[in-house]
Amino acid sequence: MFFNNLKVAWRSILKNKLFSFINVIGLSIGLCSSIVIGAIVYFDFSFDTFHKDGDRIYRVTTLFESGENEFSNRGVSVPLMKEFKNGISGVEVSAPFMSTYFSTIENKAQDLVFRNENNGILADGAYFEIFDYNWLAGDNQTALSEPAQVVLTKIKAEKYFPHKNVNEVIGQTLVYNDSVNVKVMGVVDDLKQNSDLRFTEFMSLSSAKMFGESDFTTSDAWNGTSSGDQLFFKISEGASVPNIQSRLDELAKEHKNREPWAVNDERWFRIQPFSEIHFGGKHGDYPFNNSNHVANMKVLKSLAFIALFLLLLGCANFINLNSAQALTRAKEIGIRKTLGSSKKQVVRQFFGETFILTLLATVLSLVMAPFLLRQFKDFLPSGIDLSVLYSAEGIFGILLLMLLVCLLSGFYPAFVLSKFKPVSVLKGQFSKGDKGVRLRKTLTVFQFVVAQVFVIATFLVAKQLHFLMQKDMGMKTEAVAYVNLPWNDRSQIKKERVFNQIKNIKGLSQVSWGDNPPASNNMSSTILSYYKDGNETHQEAQILTGDISYLKTYGIPLIAGRERLNDSIDEYVVNETFARAIGFQNPEEVVGTSVKLDTVKIAIVGVMKDFNQRSLRSEIRPLAVRGHYSRGFDGIHFDLGNNPERWTQIVDEVEEVLVSVYPDEELEVRFMDETVKGFYRQEKSAVQLLKWATGLAILISCLGLMGLVVYTTERRVKEIGVRKVLGANLAQLNILLCKEFLILVGVAFAIAVPISWYLVQEWIESFAYKTELSWWVFLTSGIGMAVVALLVTGARTYKTANINPIESLRNE
Amino acid sequence: MLLQLNNIFKWVTTGGQRIFLLKDINLEVEEGEFISIMGPSGSGKSTLLNVIGMLDTFDEGEYNFMDESVHSLKEKHRSNLYKQYIGFVFQSYHLLDELTVKENLEMPLIYKKIKGSERKAMVADMLDRFNIVGKKDLFPAQLSGGQQQLVGVARALISNPKLILADEPTGNLNSKQGEEIMELFKQLNREGVTIIQVTHSEKNAEYGSRIINLLDGRMV
Ligand SMILES: Nc1ncnc2c1ncn2[C@@H]1O[C@H](COP(=O)(O)OP(=O)(O)O)[C@@H](O)[C@H]1O
Ligand SMILES: [Mg+2]
Repeated sequence: MFFNNLKVAWRSILKNKLFSFINVIGLSIGLCSSIVIGAIVYFDFSFDTFHKDGDRIYRVTTLFESGENEFSNRGVSVPLMKEFKNGISGVEVSAPFMSTYFSTIENKAQDLVFRNENNGILADGAYFEIFDYNWLAGDNQTALSEPAQVVLTKIKAEKYFPHKNVNEVIGQTLVYNDSVNVKVMGVVDDLKQNSDLRFTEFMSLSSAKMFGESDFTTSDAWNGTSSGDQLFFKISEGASVPNIQSRLDELAKEHKNREPWAVNDERWFRIQPFSEIHFGGKHGDYPFNNSNHVANMKVLKSLAFIALFLLLLGCANFINLNSAQALTRAKEIGIRKTLGSSKKQVVRQFFGETFILTLLATVLSLVMAPFLLRQFKDFLPSGIDLSVLYSAEGIFGILLLMLLVCLLSGFYPAFVLSKFKPVSVLKGQFSKGDKGVRLRKTLTVFQFVVAQVFVIATFLVAKQLHFLMQKDMGMKTEAVAYVNLPWNDRSQIKKERVFNQIKNIKGLSQVSWGDNPPASNNMSSTILSYYKDGNETHQEAQILTGDISYLKTYGIPLIAGRERLNDSIDEYVVNETFARAIGFQNPEEVVGTSVKLDTVKIAIVGVMKDFNQRSLRSEIRPLAVRGHYSRGFDGIHFDLGNNPERWTQIVDEVEEVLVSVYPDEELEVRFMDETVKGFYRQEKSAVQLLKWATGLAILISCLGLMGLVVYTTERRVKEIGVRKVLGANLAQLNILLCKEFLILVGVAFAIAVPISWYLVQEWIESFAYKTELSWWVFLTSGIGMAVVALLVTGARTYKTANINPIESLRNE
Repeated sequence: MLLQLNNIFKWVTTGGQRIFLLKDINLEVEEGEFISIMGPSGSGKSTLLNVIGMLDTFDEGEYNFMDESVHSLKEKHRSNLYKQYIGFVFQSYHLLDELTVKENLEMPLIYKKIKGSERKAMVADMLDRFNIVGKKDLFPAQLSGGQQQLVGVARALISNPKLILADEPTGNLNSKQGEEIMELFKQLNREGVTIIQVTHSEKNAEYGSRIINLLDGRMV
């Protein structure tokens, strides 16, 4: 019976090739997006799910409150580690670790040297108690118990000791940072599953001092917090997190910063569940210092919504076309019923058809999925692939999706069509008044609302991106570049040599010392004190360091006062916002006053024009430019001059200089305009994604529309013939046929405008600088949509309107 | 003379073979005539009527309608011509289902771009003349076949055509209803309208002043 049903269903699918085709394409686009987005979402939820008792693992982080501002740091102050090691009630194991960096690693036995190894941490055995690693050699009882002991992951072991098996590696000695002799105590397998623990080299925590980190057993630096100082713990079974939190609150209060300038500042320790780390917690922090990806819940939710809507569009198509065919099918059903078919059997047959179409769509979508995924490669974390689809969970998910689609799309046709009374159908009474019209119109409007919202949103997000990119930031961004010199190479002579050689390159118009460029994502800030009405007041300010020609290089003009006297004097040039923040409306008045940094008095000698020192998401903040601290500048900034033809040549020459002075380093010339563009990578991805979603939404909706138009025009050929004979011309007939669809598109537009306006408004709120949500964007999108709809309907109606009436009116 | 067909041939080619639908038709129709076309099913009656009505083309011969040579006219011009001078009545009425009687009558006037006020007057006039004022707001489905055909004739007549072409206008009606339509035609003809009808019924053919018999596309 089942196979018989399928066979009949298959024949009926073949009979309506065009509709079946549209159905399959529409569904497969929806399914394909759902599958790809599902894989993306699943990826982010699959991190570190393999640790035993993972739900009992937590991390301590730090939250700073300063006035209205909140900052979070994923690390903790080092002495807190000792408190935990000494025992906190409810904590079963505590695993502190510190991220570190090794400049050289020598394998003397095999005469190999490795440089700049990242992903190393200082940890102890507790780390391996909390996180599940597979030991290939050694064990976590002894491995990290003494100073100068290291555990390597397999990949690192193979790198440092080529052609040796893990058991030979144990007991070998490596020389770290030119002087520290370290014994390899263990090798663990690389983590096979997705994990944020991207550490590959575990040095014993007791060797902290040897690697320039503080020893947590003796440290008293309660007020220093570094994001590399991590503290994980596992709570005892049945222990309460709030109790641990209150103990942490006590500790925070006890060790509050007593400095006078910190009187308004609070620091809290927060407990973060391990499962939350991958999603950046409340502040969107990266999980660890060496992470290159943090999942964004908001983005994942938006993605899921996009998938859902595309899927719904596909289902809407399905329902639409099937209900449109209802008249044709009604006769068939009537005959079947008079022949004795029960309602159940009719329902089964329709679900059979839906199932086959869904199955075809699923196969097609699995074929298309890799292509769709590739479109998003640029902004997806590496490591995402579709292999999950073929795992047990993946297959289960796909089956579930198919079931959902089958039910959603099959329900209407199956149950409504099966209800037809055979007598009325066969008498032809059914043909008067088509009950599905309202539903079809609603669904079509729904489809076009979705498509239209996508179109408008894409337009506006792209407009905002364009606005951000081309807005004058108040400084020179074109043809300015900079290079960061290696921060671990303190040789002043080398730096000077690079600087002088770059200065001699022909065509460069300005060369300056400085650290960060004037606009970047890693701006340092400090609290400055000043006297106002006799009271000491505090002002947070961002600090830029640069030599006295730094501002000139970036085309930032002074509007009052003078430049600093030399590169290291304690003088500030502040921006206008700074001047206003400490109470001077007229920038000239701030010149000559002074502020205090800790105990040092610093004179404000000049005021520079305001510029945007961060992405245009944020406002201009108070800012001061100062000279270098004790160890000089770490970067060189230069203007490539006015001759664009020379630019590549100049950059090549700069790179030659860098290679000749620092042969072992890979230094990169960075362009200011690229840096600025880099601020908006997220927005760029959003536009890219939206473009795809829009394209697909339009495609599905137009397919659906096409199906409806084909159906409607077929039903109306006779009427068109009559009208033609009565004297209607082609234009009138086309208008007549398209009107009904254009009205739907118009209604959809009216609904889509407020929705998209609201959504974009919400999104654009997070920017300090906003493009206008201009009416013409809405109008253009609407007209564009209408034109597309007109083309789709017009192609068909033109054909119908051209049919010779004697064809359509021939007596039956 | 209203129209003249000279040596009209019409054929379709299937499988390299010409099948003649109309063969050497010569016909002159004066204004005020009432002609009945008769012949067995498939003999080309409808085809001939469609050619006369300019809905269909022919392959050879000349067709003059009111001193215009139809065979050399452009499509647009041709449709203007029949829009202005010809009204059609169909066997299955072909009223527009979703329009009321009144709106059905109004349709040809809209396509002729006649002003609203004038349209209203013409529709009212026609409703009155056909005695269907009471039915003006009903939909075709609410009328009997005879009434529907009455509306069909009224619609064909509303733009004051010189010629009415009716393809088996009584084919779907019972004899009494058919008689009424024929009486109506006769009266219209007396008022000066030229009528060409296709019919199977000898009795209905008698209403006309002249009978043309077709056999295999040829006049006999
Ligand atoms: N476009 C066409 N192609 C092929 N054969 C046609 C076409 N139009 C009409 N015929 C054939 O021409 C013959 C005459 O048709 P028609 O004029 O409708 O006959 P009648 O109205 O006298 O019954 C019929 O056999 C019909 O099948
Ligand atoms: Mg016929």
